[in-house]
Amino acid sequence: MSGATTTHVDGVPFQDSVTHSDTAPGSSLQVLPASFYASRLSHASLRRREDGIRALLPLESRPGLISLLAGKPNSETFPITSLQFNIRDPFTPNGETTMQLSEEELNIGLQYTLTSGLPDLREWIFGLQERLHGRRKGEGWTVTVGAGSQDMIFKGVNALMNPGDAILVETPVYAGTLTIFQALDAEMIEVETDSHGVCSRSMREMLENWPSSKPKPKFFYTVPYGSNPTGSTATLERRLEVLALSREHDFFILEDDPYYNLYFGSSSRPPSYFELEKDQPEVGRVLRFDSLSKIMSSGLRVGFASGPESILKAMDLHSMAVNLQASSFSQMIALKVLSAWGYDGFTAHTARVAQFYRQKRDVFEAAMQRHLAGLAEWTSPEAGMFFWFKLLLNEPGSGVEGEGDSEYIIRTTALERGVLALPGATFYPNPRKTPYVRASFSLLPEDQVDEALRRLREVVLEARKANGSKRS
Amino acid sequence: MAVKSLPAEFYSAFLSDAAKERKPSPIRGLYPLEARPGVISLLAGKPNATTFPLTSVKLTSRSPADPSKEIETEVSGQALAEGLQYGPTAGIPSLLEWVYDLQQREHGRKKGEGWRVSIGSGSQDVIYKAVATMVNPGDAVLIECPAYAGVLPMFQALHCDLIEVETDAQGIKSSSLRSILQNWSENKPKPKVLYTVPYGCNPTGMTATLDRRREVLALAQEHNFIILEDDPYYFLYYGNAARYPSYFSLELEEPEVGRVLRFDSLSKILSSGIRIGFASGPEPLLQAIDMHTAVANLQTSSLTQAIAFSLLDAWGYDGFKTHTETVSRFYREKRDVFEVAMRRHLSGLAEWSTPEAGMFFWFKLLLVKDGEEGDSESIIRTKAYERGVLALPGTVFLPRGGKTAYVRASFSLLGEEEVEEAVKRLRETILEARAQAA
Repeated sequence: MSGATTTHVDGVPFQDSVTHSDTAPGSSLQVLPASFYASRLSHASLRRREDGIRALLPLESRPGLISLLAGKPNSETFPITSLQFNIRDPFTPNGETTMQLSEEELNIGLQYTLTSGLPDLREWIFGLQERLHGRRKGEGWTVTVGAGSQDMIFKGVNALMNPGDAILVETPVYAGTLTIFQALDAEMIEVETDSHGVCSRSMREMLENWPSSKPKPKFFYTVPYGSNPTGSTATLERRLEVLALSREHDFFILEDDPYYNLYFGSSSRPPSYFELEKDQPEVGRVLRFDSLSKIMSSGLRVGFASGPESILKAMDLHSMAVNLQASSFSQMIALKVLSAWGYDGFTAHTARVAQFYRQKRDVFEAAMQRHLAGLAEWTSPEAGMFFWFKLLLNEPGSGVEGEGDSEYIIRTTALERGVLALPGATFYPNPRKTPYVRASFSLLPEDQVDEALRRLREVVLEARKANGSKRS
Repeated sequence: MAVKSLPAEFYSAFLSDAAKERKPSPIRGLYPLEARPGVISLLAGKPNATTFPLTSVKLTSRSPADPSKEIETEVSGQALAEGLQYGPTAGIPSLLEWVYDLQQREHGRKKGEGWRVSIGSGSQDVIYKAVATMVNPGDAVLIECPAYAGVLPMFQALHCDLIEVETDAQGIKSSSLRSILQNWSENKPKPKVLYTVPYGCNPTGMTATLDRRREVLALAQEHNFIILEDDPYYFLYYGNAARYPSYFSLELEEPEVGRVLRFDSLSKILSSGIRIGFASGPEPLLQAIDMHTAVANLQTSSLTQAIAFSLLDAWGYDGFKTHTETVSRFYREKRDVFEVAMRRHLSGLAEWSTPEAGMFFWFKLLLVKDGEEGDSESIIRTKAYERGVLALPGTVFLPRGGKTAYVRASFSLLGEEEVEEAVKRLRETILEARAQAA
């Protein structure tokens, strides 16, 4: 396998595992070439220097050569001698299996590894992406493992925009990514969303009326399944239109998909952007982020990016400077579980997880109907773990201006009545007042959900009364 | 007598623009409200842990007191639940407590002295964040020379003016540092940070003596800079002299504490792949580091923290200490093997000072008789390579680059026979280079 070797500075080698090709062998896929990315990577990426040790590592492969290069600690000194854990069987609800790391696996887990991730874990991921999204090796993309998808998104964004650049952000948007954009002084162009996901028509209008003197946005950030906070899932038509726009107006699509496996809608699943781009005239605009946080463990901190080689290479260079690699140990545990499941087990497990959240959604929805019908507006989510709803803080015909401010209500009335939900204002790039709130239905048992929403009902009623009496 | 620490306001001058611009997450402001009695919270977007497949974790580790025996520890129940779920940015409480205890025992530092701890995904992670937190693009930064190549890209990315401070067999040369600072041009802002690896410096292997440390601390006071004490080989000290206190410990001798930001790592004593390290230092700086973490990667893995804690807790502090001594002895023996080979083959052909900590030999290839130093890089790539041996050219460790005849060799991995053969090949390489130069 050819490809440049890149390493963590103390001599741990890694190799890009995919050779770059403009056309995938044996297919008609038109893969965007490396030169396409060279002009689109951020200045920070292009400035990143590879360290001097890199250049020497290929020399280590000379037969018979003894190398004194690598500053790795000797794993004989690592005291952990075995690791064993139990996992629930994905096929039988009460079954458990004991997994034990082999000596080799333990050694791998305890030592530095390649920046892009444990080789076997990467292979498993390639297999998963083929299985779930129909994407194969040799299509100009590769994978890299990160310390959670937050880590990967942070690096992906840093690779693709310069401070001050304009970017398209579906709105409302996950607050955790907002902070990444803010840290880079992004000019966040809000793209509205509705129950079908991103409003692609609105995006089209915006882009077609873009001032010619101003550089167009670098990328569009979206959480297409069970968006945080709105819970909406983008339909196929919306996705296709966004893909067309990404070609017409030359921007990347950052597909942040942590709830992909938490889809419990009744209609058939829309394909991911990563899958859909395969049928586009050109491939290589989608940078996809997956997470194990909602399906295996959020504390483990394992996520991965799949996308154009040039972009992932830039992200790896970034990793080398800042945190070297995702924990080998965490990766080995994840790999062990995933290998034990196989892809069928993975599907079975995620189906069970999706069912779990569906039931929780149903409980929440029933309580919403019971307590908030007529006092709030919402669309039922078909993926993820959030309800996004608008508190109707003014009585119809009350003549009160504006829709109200949920943040104020939460910090005062709601708090007093013993219920907390997240004010919608948190999720907007540009500050605004909004009557929306986000509630998570992942954790609470049925009785607490009922009580929480009963209290929220009281809150809304109280607010309406107060607003009504303002009118003199 | 109570320890006096520098006030919080002192650190505004030490925070970078990027750090100052970071806004606290609005969501975080709400979480404290959850503590109100009787409140039902719909805030947290945490996944439900009943969907996580892991149900128990068991590990065995060598008993520090008797490595032929194994200790079994378990992460289960509440500890496992905590390990599998999102956790606090700065680290899980149990591991943090262990670190506080360690810092008290090792460095005499107690809580309530204006400092706190954050767990990082390896010390590289928190060092990077500390640099981003304190250094603005273009800033001048004091850095010992040669320096760990892994930090150079951090400063280079910020276009820093890297001010090289000389080092010798006693570690950082405080006289060089003094001279730099006394002759500093009034027009330029003084450097705010000094980066140093005081034990078993990578690459030189040298350990800063007590006198040098005290002088550096005095200069930090006088010229108002903060010491970034990167100490991954602190527990890999095997010198004959009594151990020198860390900067973190020594600053207790100063009128006020708060000029040291210390980095520890478990990479050389527990596992490099597990990715656990920690920063200890002034609260405002740690706060800024945590805010960076909240954006960049949320937290260090809760599970690896829980696993590390279960082991460390089972060992107790004494067990931990015993283990580090065993590790230390291991590297000492490896050093001895390497040094024997060097004496045998490289006397008169190379110059070096014997390291008393860490895993590196730093030696100058005597490539020419006199006059110019020579360039190890070209020798390595050609003659050494042809003869089947590679050592790291010293140039990669020079903050400002440049030619040098020095090389770094790691003695951590190779067995005795390979060391013997490698050093012999180096001998032949040097002889060939000298013959050619003559």
